[in-house]
Formats: sequence, structure tokens, C-alpha cells
Amino acid sequence: MAYFRNLGETYGIIAQAFHWLVAALVLAQLGLGVYAASLPVGLARLQWLSRHKSLGLAILVLVLLRLAWRAMNRPPLLPGSMPEWQRRAAAAMHRLLYLLLVLAPLAGWLYASAAGLSVNWFGLILMPDLIAKDPGLADVFKQVHRALVALLALLIAGHAGAALRHALWLRDGIAHRMLPWKPRANR
Amino acid sequence: MRLRALVAVVAFAPSPAPADDCYAVRPSGGSVSFEVRQAGAPFRGAFRRFGGEICLAQGQVERIDVWLEPASVDAGLPEIDAALKEKEFFETARYPRIAFTGRSVEARGERQTARGMLEIKGRRRDVQVAFRLRRDSGEPVVSGSLTLNRLDYGIGTGEWSDTKWLGTEVKVDFNVKLAAVKAPN
Repeated sequence: MAYFRNLGETYGIIAQAFHWLVAALVLAQLGLGVYAASLPVGLARLQWLSRHKSLGLAILVLVLLRLAWRAMNRPPLLPGSMPEWQRRAAAAMHRLLYLLLVLAPLAGWLYASAAGLSVNWFGLILMPDLIAKDPGLADVFKQVHRALVALLALLIAGHAGAALRHALWLRDGIAHRMLPWKPRANR
Repeated sequence: MRLRALVAVVAFAPSPAPADDCYAVRPSGGSVSFEVRQAGAPFRGAFRRFGGEICLAQGQVERIDVWLEPASVDAGLPEIDAALKEKEFFETARYPRIAFTGRSVEARGERQTARGMLEIKGRRRDVQVAFRLRRDSGEPVVSGSLTLNRLDYGIGTGEWSDTKWLGTEVKVDFNVKLAAVKAPN
């Protein structure tokens, strides 16, 4: 049985929906960004980069909403049976993931603004530029965006690896807190 | 070329023609910029090399002969500047200059409208250009703008003729200073 709000031991369905939606979009976004960046200057590059920027803004908004929901719904505590260092590591990892999920799209938006390639969100809303056009700064934000995304990808791999370890090896129900079903027996 | 022709006419004319007041467009201190929509958002750039001559008579513009070099395009992104010089856009190797030749000028005080021919990539179109002529600490300054359809001139061919991703309208703004051309003696 799922609950809207977080309970003592599990995430509610709103938090779960945010998690899996953001996860799916971020994975798509990584692929989109890497692919678009590999294209030569041309119409295809313009199209895919535009979609990448629009999706990035969507992710940014979703993550901010998700953080607001999280602020109103304290996440379930990790069980005391887990070693202290693991609980601390998990908490630090989650904070850093959230931080990067906000900073990476922001750096992308700053890069687009500085490059003079403003964003029209899916062709519906013309977004304001965060800063004025500045080719020098565009280069800086390009590097910052790439570095943040590389770090984010690394953390996502670590996060997924840890979740899989809990789900498949330890079978301690930790990963299932973010799933709408419970683990099978031997807990 | 035109300047030399004019100089020759003035120098060898048996009696000086009614004093035309000719000015050269200063290569610096002014700007020629453009704005077009990319993916639904404005994209701006400028042309750094431009020039030409404008002659006044009784304080009004009588002749306009101006040009710019599309190879001097500066959109702030080297890879885009390079693409703009290619065949699909300005094809600068073959068409090094964009030129406007004014045929007539209609004046209403400071506001004037020049009618003339704009030539880009070998394609000629009659256009009207609204501009203002004013004096900035004695020096004449010409500023104005025109909006043109890039497809009329073959700017952005092939895949770039997709106007959803690259807008049809290009707005060009100019603000140039003029320097008096010294009469040859």
C-alpha cells in the first residue's frame, strides 16, 4: 500500500513519483546532451540542443518542486542497524545529488545566456537570460556545466550502485523504500 | 570605386557641380547589427567591417552608397561565425560584399526614408530603409533599421530554409558616423 506522504519507513508515492520521473528525465537528458554536443554546427545540432535546454529547465523546475515537497515531508530515517558512516555517506550523497541537480541545469542556462543562444521553452515560453551575452563567460560556463554534469553522472552511478547493493545483495528493504512494492522475504 | 569615380568627376568637371556635401562612413565608432530568431529566441550579431559614402545637399541625403563585408560577421561564437560564411549563408568567398544603393530619399525633418537596391549574394531587391540623420557634436550620424526576409536573398539555404528553427525575418540596425570627404584641390 502506498501513501502520498512519507511514512516512518518508506517514501510516499509523491516522493517516489518525483524520484523516478527526475531519474528518467535526467538519464534522457544526459544522452541528449552528449549526442547534441557531438553534432557539427547545423540544423540538427540547433534542434537537439534546443530540446536539451528545454528539458533541462523542466528538470530544474521538477527538482525545485521535489525539494519543496521534501522540505515538507521529512524523508524516512535510515535504520539504526546501518553503520553510522553509511548513514552519513548516504545523507551526504543525497545532498550532493540534489545540489548538482540544481546547479547543472543552472550552469547550462548561464552558458546558453552567455552564448547569446536564449532558450524558448519547447517553443512555448521565451525564457529570460540569466546574464548578458559574453563569449568569454560562455566558455567558462560551458566548462562548469560539463564538469558538474560529469560529477552528477558519477554520483548517479554510485547512488544506483548502492541502491542495487541494498536491493539485490543486502535485501534490507532500503532500496524498496523508493519502490511501490516491498522486498521479497528474507529480510 | 564609386568614390574614385566621384573624385574624378569633381576634379575634372569644368565648373564645379553644385556643392555636394559628401561623407564617408567611418569604419569605427558605429555599428551594424542584426537580430534573427533561432529556435524561437532572438539571436544577435554584428558586422564589423562596413563603409561607403553618403552625399548631402541642402541638409538632405542625396546619394547613398554603402556596403558591408559579411565575412566580418561577429555573433560571439566562432563556430557560428564560420558557418555564416559558408555557402548556405553569406558565401563570403564568392560574395564578399553586401551593398545598398539609394535611389531616392524622402525626408520629413530628421526622419528620412531611402528607397534603393539591396544586393546580397548577387540577389537584388528594392527596399525602403527608414533612418535618421542627425548631428552629434557636429558630425553627422546616420541610424536606422530595416527588416528583411532572409529567404529573398538565399541566406540560409538547404536545411536552414526551415523557418521554424531559423526565423525568416532579419532585423538590421545601424548607427554609423560620417566623416566629411575632403574636396580635392
